[in-house]
Amino acid sequence: MVEKMDPFEQELREQLQARSAPGGFADRVMARVPHGRAPRETFLGFGLGFRQPVWRWAVAAVLVAGMVLGGLEHDRQQRLAGERAREQVLLALRITGSTLRDVQQKVGARDERESFSQKGTVREKDDQ
Amino acid sequence: MDASPQEFRAIVERHQARVFSIAYRILGESGVAEEVAQDVFLELHRNLPRLASEEHLTAWLRRVACHRGTDALRRRAARGGMAAEEYQDGMALRPVVRDFIPLMNRVEQLLLTLPPQQRAVMLLRYQEDLEPEDIALELKMPLATVRSYLQRGVKMLRAKADRTLKEYSRG
Repeated sequence: MVEKMDPFEQELREQLQARSAPGGFADRVMARVPHGRAPRETFLGFGLGFRQPVWRWAVAAVLVAGMVLGGLEHDRQQRLAGERAREQVLLALRITGSTLRDVQQKVGARDERESFSQKGTVREKDDQ
Repeated sequence: MDASPQEFRAIVERHQARVFSIAYRILGESGVAEEVAQDVFLELHRNLPRLASEEHLTAWLRRVACHRGTDALRRRAARGGMAAEEYQDGMALRPVVRDFIPLMNRVEQLLLTLPPQQRAVMLLRYQEDLEPEDIALELKMPLATVRSYLQRGVKMLRAKADRTLKEYSRG
């Protein structure tokens, strides 16, 4: 909505017309500007033209897709590592179990031998 | 936008009066105003690729010129130069301030008696001819604040102009 100005405001407007810049202003600005073209906006410093909205969206979409795929791949790797660790633990448990069984068998066999030999000794003593 | 040195020079020439005037009328001193205006264009050179159109560029220049002008005023106040508050007390411009502004017209001098933010709003309204809604957008200020600055600014300038006229006619 355009707001109307009263005569005093009109006077303000006339008195506040833009002033000319001092002579040679543009030369002095240009002397301070780095040489060459104004810098193009770059993406990751590769100098890609990145001003068109369609390119911005495309790059954003690729980045998001990359992040999602990366996340999924990371999950898969984690799951595989978990499964490998589980198998190793089960294998270790199996080995431990069989080792324990061997030890138990050996201990049992030795106990039997000892009890046999003790019985034999007692019988010999009884016979005497 | 992209610009060769020649194209950038054309941009500077097209907008130098606008940017210099904003800085000059906020600061009240030609030398510092030129320094600030040059800095604004150097900043523009760095930011040019982000500006999509001429309208965008113009709005950017107005906004940055206002901000850099008020920043410079704040720095000057911190260094013990003219504090912003000095301007607020009616026509009580101290002689040192008057000496700074011999080339200013009466309205420009009266404008310097307003607080810096209000000065920027008044400039965008009466120099740049923007509507209050556009000023609010450009300076990221509530519309009610812009309207209040404008109403009070015009009222104060009117009162000061009347007083000056009376002082002048009394001789």
